[in-house]
Amino acid sequence: MTLPSRLPWAALKLAVACVYLFMLGPILITAAVAFNQDNRSYFPPRGFSLQWWGAAFGPQWLQPLLFSLELATLAALISGAVGMPLAFAFQRYEFPGKTLVRAITLGPLILPSLVTGIALLQFLSLVGLGRWMGFWALLIGHVVICLPFSVRTVAISLAAMPGNLEPAAASLGATPYAVLRHVTLPLATPGMFAGMIFAFIHSFDDVNLSLFIARPGERPLTVAILAFLDFGFAPTLAAVSILSMLIPLALVALFGRFVGIGDFLYQEAGNG
Amino acid sequence: MAEPALRVAGLTKRFGKLVAVDAIDLAVAQGEFVTLLGPSGCGKTTTLNMIAGFITPDAGSIHLQGRAVQSLPPFRRDLGLVFQDYALFPHMTVAENVGFGLRMRRVPRGEMAHRVAQALDLVQLSGLDERRPLQLSGGQRQRVALARALVIRPAMLLLDEPLSNLDLKLREEMRVEISALQRRLGIATVFVTHDQGEALTMSDRIAVMRLGRIEQIGTPTDVYERPANRFVAGFIGSINLLPARSDGGAPTGGLVRLETAAGAALVRLPSGTEPAGELALTIRPERLKLATADSVPAGVTAWPARVERVVYLGARIELRLRLADGSAALAEAMNDGSAAWSQGDAAMAWFRPEDAWVIAPPDDHA
Repeated sequence: MTLPSRLPWAALKLAVACVYLFMLGPILITAAVAFNQDNRSYFPPRGFSLQWWGAAFGPQWLQPLLFSLELATLAALISGAVGMPLAFAFQRYEFPGKTLVRAITLGPLILPSLVTGIALLQFLSLVGLGRWMGFWALLIGHVVICLPFSVRTVAISLAAMPGNLEPAAASLGATPYAVLRHVTLPLATPGMFAGMIFAFIHSFDDVNLSLFIARPGERPLTVAILAFLDFGFAPTLAAVSILSMLIPLALVALFGRFVGIGDFLYQEAGNG
Repeated sequence: MAEPALRVAGLTKRFGKLVAVDAIDLAVAQGEFVTLLGPSGCGKTTTLNMIAGFITPDAGSIHLQGRAVQSLPPFRRDLGLVFQDYALFPHMTVAENVGFGLRMRRVPRGEMAHRVAQALDLVQLSGLDERRPLQLSGGQRQRVALARALVIRPAMLLLDEPLSNLDLKLREEMRVEISALQRRLGIATVFVTHDQGEALTMSDRIAVMRLGRIEQIGTPTDVYERPANRFVAGFIGSINLLPARSDGGAPTGGLVRLETAAGAALVRLPSGTEPAGELALTIRPERLKLATADSVPAGVTAWPARVERVVYLGARIELRLRLADGSAALAEAMNDGSAAWSQGDAAMAWFRPEDAWVIAPPDDHA
């Protein structure tokens, strides 16, 4: 290989190395910090102890963790259930105001969730639903910011479907309902599952919106971590952070084994 | 059987101002293979989609096995369709794909398995039941699509350019195979293509379409050797076409003399054709022969010509000629080693009366 053609490869390798360094490095350091003997965030860790990991499973952390899991699961399920028909409507039908409805639905993708949070807070107070603050308001907010993911992934799977599949099924004697049930839905389902996983992760990771709507006793893990940071970065926090990263990862891995979502997570429009 | 498998009358479809299909009449006999042939935009696919029920006609009727179907949805028409992209269901196995139509018809499990196996055997795909479409080659997918369409024992088969996604060699194999299968099953078939080779080799009859109309319908021999107008003559194969006019003399022995710019020609007029007005004399390149001035047979038309280019095609040799009036002509000879013409040679281009075909009068929209 000549020098000019070798140079871009070297640059690419360097870039990849940087990505790994800055992505995995902090995670590894955080994980290491959680093994410190004393309640100090030394790196490299001094001594060895599992006590901070134990603390991470204490009621102080377990409660927001379960709260976050419940919230993310419901947000994912609801945005999947609402996103599927919405994606159908956007992809297949023309109706008045379609552009506007689509813009509103997909808006949270580009709108800072901080803004969505403040707006939702204001709205609930003004219409007198301030008592909804906490879980129900969080659920509404999370569905709003998660919906674009399931709408997009279902729309992609519908768009990737070869145009003649439905006519072919119809010609073989399938009624419109049978076409939907045996051809269209099965082919759109991986997209829906992928969208739900994105929604779950997005909800589980959200702090911006949750910050405004959570209230004591009803706050997700991210908000609890943020609040604890006031006391400085303790090894407990390191352990909690690592756990909050591993849980969604494990879920994706588990889910991916049972439903074919691989194409969706790793390559946008799969082969159907 | 008197009742044709398919009878289409006055079928019309407009898209805005464009008349895509213009009052087409077509009948396909039981067991007959009819091809709709034409350039893109001629209305052949729209016609097929109206027969299948995917497009609602603006006017006209469609009868399938005597049953009026123009107002029935596609799933009640009982047709076997094969699409250009095969349209196999990617989430189903080969067996599930083939069995889909039977499942929709609530055929019992045992009978279904039996018929699916039979259909796969028919297209020589036995043993691939559990594969997914993505694991198959193009030719295999084509066969699965064919089996899936045939297993429901449809009233007739509709094929929408099913060969155009295959490579050349496979395409030629599948031509022969589909033809053989269609004849063995005796199933009436409408085949849509823009490929004249497919149309000529596979069809019982060809309907040549242009601008939403059928320009000519007839056997492959009819449309190739006796084209109804200039469009059909030019669309299928290459052809030499010369404007011609009768010299006014009475026919002798069924033959008339025509005047063309390249010289006089002795031809046989198609029955019913009056030797009047603007005629067009057509000669297929393979019927135009080349000879030296002293070896032209008697009783033929012979015109002086100059060989401008010799194009080697392997089995055949193409000779590009310049006639006396300066017009170009094309001759094609078998590469049988008999005559070696080279560029610049002076020769006589000749043809027998039965080698030429007269189109009269030239259609007004040619």
